[in-house]
Amino acid sequence: MSVTSIEPKLDLAGSKHREWVSSKTRRALISYSFLLPAILYFSIFFFYPIALEFWASLQSGLPLVGESQFVGIENYQRILQDKRVIHSFKVTIIYSVGSTVITAIVGLILALILNQKIRGRVIIRSIIFFPYMISIVIIALLWSNILDPYLGILNSFLYSIGIDGQNWLTNPNTALPAVISLVVWQNMGYAMVIYLAGLQNIPEQYYEAAKIDGASKFHLFRYITLPLLAPTTLFITVIGMIGNLQAIAPAYLITRGGPADATNLYAYHVFNVAFDELRIGYASALAFMMFAVIFVLTMIQFKIAGTQVEY
Amino acid sequence: MKKNRLSRRNFLKIGATSAIALGLSPIREIYPAKAQEEGVVTIYWNPGHVYDTYQTVIDQFQEDFPGWTVNWEKYQWPDMRTKLLADFAAGNPPDMTAEPGGWVQEFALGGQIRSLTEFVEADGEEIGFPSDWQDYTISRNSHEGEIYGMQIHLTCGLMFYNIDMLENAGFSAPPTTWDEFLEVAQATAQGNVFGFAPNQATGYAWPWLLQNNVSYYDPDTNTVPMDTQDAIDAMQFQSDLIHVHNVAPIPIASADYEGPQKLFTANRAAMIITGPWDIKPTREGNPDLNWDVAPALTNQRQSTFAAGVSMMIPKDAKNPEMGWELMKRFTALDAELAATQEAGMTMPRKSWAVDEALEEIPFIAEFGRGLGYAEDVTAELRRTGKFGEIDPLFSKAYEEVIYTNRPASEALAEFVEEANRILSEA
Repeated sequence: MSVTSIEPKLDLAGSKHREWVSSKTRRALISYSFLLPAILYFSIFFFYPIALEFWASLQSGLPLVGESQFVGIENYQRILQDKRVIHSFKVTIIYSVGSTVITAIVGLILALILNQKIRGRVIIRSIIFFPYMISIVIIALLWSNILDPYLGILNSFLYSIGIDGQNWLTNPNTALPAVISLVVWQNMGYAMVIYLAGLQNIPEQYYEAAKIDGASKFHLFRYITLPLLAPTTLFITVIGMIGNLQAIAPAYLITRGGPADATNLYAYHVFNVAFDELRIGYASALAFMMFAVIFVLTMIQFKIAGTQVEY
Repeated sequence: MKKNRLSRRNFLKIGATSAIALGLSPIREIYPAKAQEEGVVTIYWNPGHVYDTYQTVIDQFQEDFPGWTVNWEKYQWPDMRTKLLADFAAGNPPDMTAEPGGWVQEFALGGQIRSLTEFVEADGEEIGFPSDWQDYTISRNSHEGEIYGMQIHLTCGLMFYNIDMLENAGFSAPPTTWDEFLEVAQATAQGNVFGFAPNQATGYAWPWLLQNNVSYYDPDTNTVPMDTQDAIDAMQFQSDLIHVHNVAPIPIASADYEGPQKLFTANRAAMIITGPWDIKPTREGNPDLNWDVAPALTNQRQSTFAAGVSMMIPKDAKNPEMGWELMKRFTALDAELAATQEAGMTMPRKSWAVDEALEEIPFIAEFGRGLGYAEDVTAELRRTGKFGEIDPLFSKAYEEVIYTNRPASEALAEFVEEANRILSEA
């Protein structure tokens, strides 16, 4: 087919369309038609449920499941006076900050060590990364059995060498640190891999120039490595915080939020309020509150980090 | 009826006959069109109760109704509850579902399940429902005078005790009072062996509370009457076993409730309080263990908690008649006795409790007697629709007493104040 053979048709069509829509509008329509599947997908599976959830948060009774009554912002007002919510929020903040910061620090240390040319580093990296590939369900079962104070492997070992057993998961003071430790153990390999990628992107010349100027190893780390890893650190902490603030599995699978609510993470509390206590409207309000908190915290992280990150 | 009906082999042989005798004929008369149709009956079940007996019942059902198949879906209770709520929201619930106790009243109150009145009027007399069921199983499955659920298993908490450990400590019989209990616990606790292993679930606090005349809810005053000295004493007694007398371990806060049973099976605890569901794992976990089941203790009175599984039909079920037909077959006396023999499960029929065959099944007879004085703790509070909000507060109070040794008087005072505030709200 020659070009000239189709030109008149195109021109004719264009002339006709110009009478009704401008070329700018036509381009927009074509663009939106390509975007339509994605828009439909997100509208049906994301925006509509979010809107429905917001509607539910303004109801009492059993919205979405049974009969309900409109109560306005009463559910939101109630949150601020609910001691269990405030407690679970504090637990979640400690859990999230603790898990995220410790994971990042341990991941960085491991990356710095395994970025050296040491024998077997690929195998060691794989071993450290391995827990990240395991389901949290398996990890929960594994560590529950290890930490069981009466029948667990760890206490049996300690007992065999003359050390009294520990009650990590039954003591409200140690249960949360124990859960944080498990999460760090699972995620440190992931942080290590991301940091390794970051380290390998730092040009060697920077270090050579600094060494010529007499920089010590600490100075190299403090003034070259750490600043140039700032985007990596930002990525790890933002993603880590968002994930940890929404975490439910450790509380659900390992401790059931106990003992005495010591590990009652916010998302687990919301789950219980919705499905155990059947207060779906209130649970929806709690979920929206968490959405707002995560959004604000993430913005703050970006703001703080944005002023210090060197790209 | 002949004694040999207890044999599972015989149960299989007579399955068809008994099924027809117990329920098939009525449904053919009442729902002839439905019986002639074809389709799938979806039922939700707990994986811990997947017995061969029930598979036989289902096989027989499918044989009797050639066009129908049973989709038997199994979920752990928390997952089942989540799925059911999603099903209710989507208008696509199963035709019948099991529930662990308490859901019937909650969902009846919320209008998600259907009254069984129509079915009971048609078939009740023939199958002995509700007349042959323990009275409180009808009460706990009713709402505003109508029956919404049918009990299939009825259990209670009693004491498992290690006969050898007690004999070695100089006791020829299990304790019957709190004082005796403490004496035995102190005598048997040695080294890494505990006199008693408590459970972390709040429900296990109730034998002690009931034995001290404490109730969860007073409908006359619409209050939680648990700030009394009797309630404080019962809670403190449990805490003192751990923190003062050092005869019991702090229970493990975990996702399963098998900790005490595992300690008992491993010869690490002389006594535990549990239900018939732990008979099978205890027997299989340590076949050499010399143990038995004791009656509930007595303080102000002898009592323990009742528990167990019921079945209910969602309001939007597509085949409620077939769900009811399965409910009848699962609760036929022969099926109950076969399940008891197979899994040691205890049952809600009065005729089951007095059946001579129970005496031949190890450990079961004591549970049969226990069901006579066991009490449903939460039924009254559930009717208020506030149970879901109040029970977690009680769990927190119980855990604070047990785990952190907080004085029971403080924890209960705080709990009662908050619970009564919730009850006073419209």
